[in-house]
Amino acid sequence: MTGPSRTRPGPQARRASPELRLKVGFVVIAMVLSVFAARLVQLQGVDPGQYAAMAAAEGSVDVVLPATRGSILDRNGVPLAESIDGKMVVADPKLTADKAPELAKFLAKELGVDYFQVLERLRADTRFEYIARQVPARLATDVVDKAERKGFVGLFLRRDPVRRYPQGRTAANLIGFLGTPRKDGSAHALAGLEDAFDKYLSGTDGEERYEVGAGNQIPLGHNTITPAVDGEDLRLTIDSTMQFYTQQVLQQTVEGAHAESGIAVIMDSRTGDVLSLADYPTYDASDPQDWPKSRYKSSALTDVYEPGSTEKVLTLSALIDAGLARPRQQYVVPPVLNRQDRPIHDHWVHGFEHLTLAGILAKSSNIGTVLAADNFPKGELRRYLTSFGLGRTTGVGMLAESRGILPAGAAWTDQVDDRIAFGQSLSVNALQMTAAVNTIANDGVHIDPSLVEGHATLDDGTEVGTDDATERRVVSTEAARQTGLMMERVLDPVDGVAPLAAVPGYRIAGKTGTAQRVVDSCGCYDGSHTASFIGYGPTDDARFTIYVVIHDSKTGGGGAVAGPAFAKLMSYALRRYGVPPTGTKPSQLPVEW
Amino acid sequence: MSSTAPQLRSRLPRLAEVAVQRARLTVVPRPRTRPRAPRVPFVIFVSVILLAGVLGLLMFNTSMQQASFRETALEHQAADLTAREEALNLDLQQRRTFENIADRAQKLGMVLPGAPGVLTLGTGKVLGTPVPAVPGNTINTNTPGPHKPAALNPPPVIVHEKPQKRGGDTGGRSDAGHRDRHQDRQHGAPDRDRQR
Repeated sequence: MTGPSRTRPGPQARRASPELRLKVGFVVIAMVLSVFAARLVQLQGVDPGQYAAMAAAEGSVDVVLPATRGSILDRNGVPLAESIDGKMVVADPKLTADKAPELAKFLAKELGVDYFQVLERLRADTRFEYIARQVPARLATDVVDKAERKGFVGLFLRRDPVRRYPQGRTAANLIGFLGTPRKDGSAHALAGLEDAFDKYLSGTDGEERYEVGAGNQIPLGHNTITPAVDGEDLRLTIDSTMQFYTQQVLQQTVEGAHAESGIAVIMDSRTGDVLSLADYPTYDASDPQDWPKSRYKSSALTDVYEPGSTEKVLTLSALIDAGLARPRQQYVVPPVLNRQDRPIHDHWVHGFEHLTLAGILAKSSNIGTVLAADNFPKGELRRYLTSFGLGRTTGVGMLAESRGILPAGAAWTDQVDDRIAFGQSLSVNALQMTAAVNTIANDGVHIDPSLVEGHATLDDGTEVGTDDATERRVVSTEAARQTGLMMERVLDPVDGVAPLAAVPGYRIAGKTGTAQRVVDSCGCYDGSHTASFIGYGPTDDARFTIYVVIHDSKTGGGGAVAGPAFAKLMSYALRRYGVPPTGTKPSQLPVEW
Repeated sequence: MSSTAPQLRSRLPRLAEVAVQRARLTVVPRPRTRPRAPRVPFVIFVSVILLAGVLGLLMFNTSMQQASFRETALEHQAADLTAREEALNLDLQQRRTFENIADRAQKLGMVLPGAPGVLTLGTGKVLGTPVPAVPGNTINTNTPGPHKPAALNPPPVIVHEKPQKRGGDTGGRSDAGHRDRHQDRQHGAPDRDRQR
């Protein structure tokens, strides 16, 4: 094959010597290689990051894969807060300035934004202006498409998730809300459970990087995906239908009593699940900015007050448990009891009454309670109250929960001891008090109340929920049963003080409370009262524990104002959950002797 | 090869001659009889494979691109449909709020039930004290609106009508008319806000 070329003499004659040619060749190759080497050093040694970034930016797209924020659901899966896809409409004023008035008119009509504000923004001397934020994706896309068809340029869409509170005011005090998202589109929790469980609900954004050509992903191009981890759903123990009803009843009660505010709690007696937790006045989580900031909380957890006579339930059940009293034990109750610093009165004027322990509770006698509680050894009442859960937070998961005040050490004087026995000189939050009395409903076993079904992690790492609720025995089953029978007498039409709290056909145990109230403005008793009613039913097989608190009621005390509200709520709860009457005979404990 | 054979033979002893004779190499004749394989079909074969490969790759690439276009289009459609579904869901949720349902039910004349009686199937006994539902046993579905600052919620301007003088001048009338309009606007503003 090579034979013929060897015989050709022509070109061989004109070439230089092979060694020279080889040298020249080597030099050329060396020069080229050294150029390559220099370039290599420049690319890899001097600033590799920048070049890599430039290479990646060329035709590649980085997309944040947004993690969907978890929903907040009620116990039946009804969404109370959920995220939907939303967009922000932004404008580049460099492009929009020419047709600003027409475009502003169009946007004002389509998106309901303010004409003058938008006009100003469309003419601003920047390259980026917000036109509307958190617009539902469908609407935003439609509007921008329409604008393009009409020949407007300079409008763009960006991701801006919308948090929706479909039930508006229902449980708004618990759920809280998200503020305007941060610039990067991440959520900005401002109140309630949204804030407390922010990390749990948020999840982690993912990222995708791929190469594009003409707007489409190049099929075999470089492609890396870090998938987004969606936030977890937060399932509450709240029954939203009942929550709505509770809020309406509470509103009606507060307005009817010309009162300042109110709280209503419904708890499942057996599990400690909080089924409703209503505050009034409240706000609308969909439009929080329209309402004063002072309402962005759950008063049932953040505000403390003196419980008044409802606390006698705890004192008397502790007495029975300690073996220091029996329901039929007889007491002579004087018209006034002079103690160290000041006389103690009852809410009604009487002479020397002959009341049983049941009668002391049924008629809510302060003097009788103090006399009965005198039998406690020093420190015993405090030990019981602590065991009932007073003086420490319930830990249901809401931030800024107040733990109330249970005096300790030197602050627990004899006078304080007397007053605490009938529910003054100590303060509680409403859920704490509900859980405490629920102990009696639940055969003497205290259950931590829960707001979260299953379990969820707070931002500080604490696990809360029904799975983590603990139980502890506070009083004996027998003491709880006897206290229940005494409480039943409170609703007796003849012997009790709260016949209006009765539910026809059911045995209900309850206790009224009308406490002197400390107001924030002066930090003193201003003569206003906190009317409350707490109870459970049916007495012999408790299903629900309900607590209604009305602050600054102008039309009456616990039995007259909170009692009827309690009856409505109890009747509704029993009906809704199909609880039949137990059909047993109501308590006939004597109240007098 | 043929040039080295005689030299070899002269150096070797006679005894080995036979063996050498036997071992002499001869040129194998070129097999002229077998026809040379035709090149054309091979070239065509290779070209066809090459062409098929190139075309196949091209078509594969094209179809991939096509699929990519289609994917993008479908993604747009999916996003659009998701947005539409969400919009419809919003509407549904709006209709489904407790306030709405309670309000509409009460407008239809529905009331809250009284106490129920529970019929025990085993014994045929009725437990509880059934109480019939009474008209007017409703809940208040009007929740108070937000408290607006005074600037947004001005007090109504009350214009007292002046006793009309007989044959009064037209200037006074037009002034009153102007103030009436002003009053309307002021009344209108809070209503519009409430609707929102």
